[in-house]
Formats: sequence, structure tokens, C-alpha cells
Amino acid sequence: MVQQADVWHQQRLLTDAQLDRVRQAFPFDFGQTNGFIEVGLFLFTIVVIMSCYLLPASLITGLLDNSGTSALFNMGFGIVTGLIGRVLIKRRQLYRNGVDNAFVLMQTGFLAFGFNQLLPTNMPLGTYCLLSLPLLLLVLWYYGDTLIAFIAVATFYTFIFDSMLQFSWGKTSLPFVMMAVSGLLYLLARRMDRSPYYADPLNLVEWLALIVLAASGNYYVVREVNGLIFNVSIRQLARGMAPEIALPGLFWLLTILIPAAYLQQGLTRKNRMLIILGGLGLIAAVMTLQKYVLLLPLNVALTVGGLALIGIAVAAIWFLRQQTATDRGSGNMGNGFTDEPDYESPNEFFINMGTAAAMQVAVKAPHESKDDVRFGNGSFGGGGSEGNY
Amino acid sequence: MSLTDVLTTLTDQSILPPEQSSKIAEFEEKKPFSLHWELRAMLFVGILLLSSGLGLLVYDNFDQIGHGALLAAMAAGCGVCFFFAWRYRPTWSMEKTVSRSTFGDYALLLACLLFLTLEGYAQYAYHVFGERYGLVTLLPAALFIPLAYRFDHRGVLGMALTALISWVGVSVRPLELYVKTNFFDRSTVFSAIILALVLIGGALLFEQRRLKPHFTETYLAIAGNLLLVALLGGLFNFVGLRLWFALGLLGVCVVFDRYARRRKSFLFLLMSTVHGYIGVTYLVFHYLLDGFLGGSGLDYWYFILTGILLVAYLLRQLPKRNLTHESL
Repeated sequence: MVQQADVWHQQRLLTDAQLDRVRQAFPFDFGQTNGFIEVGLFLFTIVVIMSCYLLPASLITGLLDNSGTSALFNMGFGIVTGLIGRVLIKRRQLYRNGVDNAFVLMQTGFLAFGFNQLLPTNMPLGTYCLLSLPLLLLVLWYYGDTLIAFIAVATFYTFIFDSMLQFSWGKTSLPFVMMAVSGLLYLLARRMDRSPYYADPLNLVEWLALIVLAASGNYYVVREVNGLIFNVSIRQLARGMAPEIALPGLFWLLTILIPAAYLQQGLTRKNRMLIILGGLGLIAAVMTLQKYVLLLPLNVALTVGGLALIGIAVAAIWFLRQQTATDRGSGNMGNGFTDEPDYESPNEFFINMGTAAAMQVAVKAPHESKDDVRFGNGSFGGGGSEGNY
Repeated sequence: MSLTDVLTTLTDQSILPPEQSSKIAEFEEKKPFSLHWELRAMLFVGILLLSSGLGLLVYDNFDQIGHGALLAAMAAGCGVCFFFAWRYRPTWSMEKTVSRSTFGDYALLLACLLFLTLEGYAQYAYHVFGERYGLVTLLPAALFIPLAYRFDHRGVLGMALTALISWVGVSVRPLELYVKTNFFDRSTVFSAIILALVLIGGALLFEQRRLKPHFTETYLAIAGNLLLVALLGGLFNFVGLRLWFALGLLGVCVVFDRYARRRKSFLFLLMSTVHGYIGVTYLVFHYLLDGFLGGSGLDYWYFILTGILLVAYLLRQLPKRNLTHESL
């Protein structure tokens, strides 16, 4: 609320006095934690909780050997962690600053672990996932934690995936079921309560649902996953190609149509998530095409792809600039897109990532020249390799 | 919470008159949608792909027909990019500046990446620098630092610093072709520490002279990490000098900690805390818990107590927020 008022104030839509009144009326201020400190707090809280867990576990011999006592101990520890976490969160007014995230994660982890130890050991994976889901959803409802949301979605998809494999018709209909389920999940997340408390986890659910929806329709994913679940011989997979799937035409169509639909919807509705995923999905579609149809060597593919991306980006920026200039002259709002940066921009983070990525490439370049390796069979991972600096 | 919700609440609480509220709603409706960062990210990824693709292409076609043309094309591209960046260069100033063209910064980045490929290739194919491998990495550093300052480009500065760091690694062990900063080697550790101190000192001096003060953070983040890792490496590996490395680590952590708290840049707080903690934990385990306290079962207690201490310490560093909390 205050953030939004700040933005309007910057855009001269609110006066100073009005902003002050907003600040007085809504004194709660979320934006004040700091990412780096959160990371530190999260790490060290995990260290503390894990040590607290291992201390009695190592003192009392045989505690973890028997699955019954071990389950009770784990669940008990989870409950104690949860209670202490609750007291701490209440007393210190911790709100999403690392400590509480760590407590929520650990308590859920121990509870789920202990609970699953109590279950019989011969059930399929999907059943464990299904039985753990209510616990995860309960925690999600209570704490609104983003990490738990991620785990819950992953558990849910594992459940669907694994249960489908149990049926004879499940394997072939798997992509369609995954697409349908993802579509429903996305619609559900969009219709949910949009209070700020749940905004982050619900956003994450939307991202994940859209990604799985697009991936389940992607020819490459379907073909390779099929190769895995139908127990194709390792030798054939090692040659890099899973066997042809049923309905290849349909999946080729979906490979291109789903991202294209995202992009089209994103542009008409001005939805950033859909635009980004549509763009990435189209890039993935081109990569799929390259893998099975175009079959260009990696170096040419990278060069041409890079040139194409640069070309599109430059053309789009240039077009938007031109159009903004003419719009200013004529006074209309144009087609509703602009190249001016706005307040949603992830400035600092983006710049830091950019620097890191540039450095990563720069470090690679001189080494490769001296290292006598000829390339050509590297994996296609191109631009996203900045993580390990 | 959607924008309309915010507006309704504000109007209900009579902070906003209804006319203004509807005006804001109309503005939000018609406001153009910014694709600024999406397009920049695309351009950036395109540049990275293109430069790695060209790099591979040159080596794959080594000694083949057409590969001279490829090199010429890359050199021409590199030249064009430099020329473009130079043509739209920002006017020189000690403060933060921006290129007069949207594409100036990206052209410079592409030019620098292409230069690296070309330079590496020149050494690979023609041994331009002979056995002096240090020059291969020193040259880009010497070129990129002035460029970074002239064009005010933090990415190029980062590339220059990386080149400098690998130069230290290389010139210490010239026959080692990989630039693996090897902290088992005493001279590598000391060179790394000296380089990091020089960089940090330079950054602080420039900041004092108000020469591109916004570069300081880039310098400190890269050189500071190098310094802390080198000190830790020394602490682990050189038993004879362990006391000095421990004192050095302690000193650096304290300095970073104070700097971070004064500037409110918490990256440095996290860096000093984590590196310092690793050092202390190593020493405690090496001398106390594996030493004369071995088998006492105090290990977990150590982690519990220190963990709680650190959490409490970091919590105190959180920026002060409004104390009138609503209940959640």
C-alpha cells in the first residue's frame, strides 16, 4: 500500500500531504528487510536447527535406528521447532526475513519426514506425495511461505506424474493430463485471494503452472520423457534421440502454439509473466526445432541465434523509441508499450547479474584459447551459465 | 492486492478525493507498458550467445578455407562496435554518465568480448605473445580499465578486474595453462592478497577523489571476495603462518563489517560474516574440538551457540523499521 502510494507520488499523482497521510494510516512497512541479510539469517538459522536436531540424535544411541521411534522423534522435533518458531515470530515480529522462513521450512521438513516414516514402505511414490500434500497446504495457508509453495507444487506434480505411470493408459496420456492440470492450477491461482500475504506464493504457482503447461506440450520434452518412461535401451538414448512419439504433428504444433499464445495474451493483457514466458518458450521452440529438424552445428546455431536475438531486440527498442517520439508529437497513447524503464524494473539485481554474466564469459574466453580443446559437442546451455561465478 | 483495491481503500479512508482516485485509475489504465528490461535482457543474452558462437566457430574451423574471412569479419565487427560506442560516447565526467545512444553500452560490451576472442585466437594460432602468458590476460585488463572509466561501464570494469585476477594466477605459475587460482601455492596467495589490497586501496582513493564513486562497490565486491578467499586459503594451508592469516582475516572482517554498517551495503556484511565464520569454525575444530576437547560432544553445542549468536547479530543489523506493527 505504502509502496504503491510512493510510486504514485513519484509520478506526481499524489501530493506530499496525501503521501504522509497514507504513511500514517498504514504504518506497516514490508520493504525494509535486506536480501543479503536474509540469506545470512536463513543459513545460520538452518545451522542452529540442524545442530539442535543432531545433538540429541547423537547422544541417545539407537534413536534413529528404529523407524518407529525415529518417526516419533522427527515429528516431535518438527512440532517443537514449529512452536519455538511461532513464539519467536510473534515476539520479534519476524516477517519473511530469513529466520522465520528457515523455521517454517525445517518444521515442515521434519514433520513430513517423520510422517512418511510411519507409512508402510511399499507404496508408490505418488501416494507418499498425495499424503504429504495436506500438511504442505496447511503450512502454506498458515505461513504463506514461498519456498513451501514451491515444494507443494513440486509434490503435487510428482503425485500426478507418478500416479499416471501406474495406469496402462497413463503413459500415453501423460502430456495431456499434465497440460490440463497445469491449466487448472493456473486458473485456480489466478482466482485465489490476492492479499499481499499470499501474493508471492501465488505468483510462484502461476509461473510454475505456466512453465509445466508449456513444457508438457513441447516436442523435445515429450519425446525425451517418453523415451525415459518407456524404458528405451540406454544405448539408443545415448545416441541422443529418443524414438519418435505418437502424434508428432500435434506436439510440434503445441511446441510453437503454446508460447505464441502466451506472448499474444501477454501483449494484449499487458501481463509481464506471460510475455516473458512466451518469449522464452519461443526460444525453446526454436531450440527444439534445431535439435530435431535444422541440425545445425552448435557454433552456427549459437551465432545465428545470437544475431537473431540482437536483431529482434534492437529492432523492437528502435521501433518503440521512434513511436514514443511521434506519440509525444501527436499526443496519443500509441499502442500502449514503451521502452522507458518503469518502477517495476529490477534495477540493481539485473545490473549485478549482467556484470556477473559478462565476467563469466570473459573468464572463459582466454582460457579456451590456450586449452587445446576443440569444442563441438558441448551441451546447449549458452547464455545462462552465470550461476557458478 | 490490486491497484483498484488500494484506490478504494484510500478513497474510503478519505485520503483521496474520489475525482483524484478515478483520475489515477484512468492513468494506470492507459499508462504504457514498459518492455525496457525484457528487451535489454534479450539484447544481452543475444550478445553473449553471439560472442560464444563466434568463438567456437573460429576454433572449429581452424585451418580451413573461409576462416580468414571469418576472422576479418569478427575484427570488422569488433571495430564497428568500438566505433559505434565511441561515436555515442558520453561526455566525460567524474560522476555517473550514460551513453548518448541506447545501444552504446551494448556495443562496447560486444566489442570487448569480440576483442577477447580475437586476442585469444591470435595467441592460439600465431603465438603472438610467445611464452609470456601473463601478457595475454594483462593486455585486456590494461585496455578494459580505461574503457570502463571512459564509457562508465561496470560490466567492462568487472571483466577487467577478472582479467587482472587471472593475470596474477598466471604470472605466478606461467606454465600452468589453466588459470586456476591455486591457494596451495604460497606466492599465489600472497599475490592475490597484494592485488586485492591494491585494488581496494585504489577504489577508496578514487572514491575520495570523487572519480566515478559508483565503481567502488564493484571493486570492493570482487577484490574483497578475492582477499577473503585468499586469506582463508592461507589459513587452511600454511601452518607456520596460520596466526598471521587468522589475524589478517579478523582484521579484514572487522573492516568490512564496519564499512557495511556505515554504508548500509549488506553484501559486505554477509561476506565478512560468512568468511569469518568459516575461518573461526576451522580454527575451533582444528585446535579445540579435534584437539584437547576431542570426543567431548561439544561440536553441536558450538554450532548451536555460534549460530544463535550470529542470527541475533544479523537481526540487529536489519534496517530499522517502523515500530508500530499491526498484527499479522
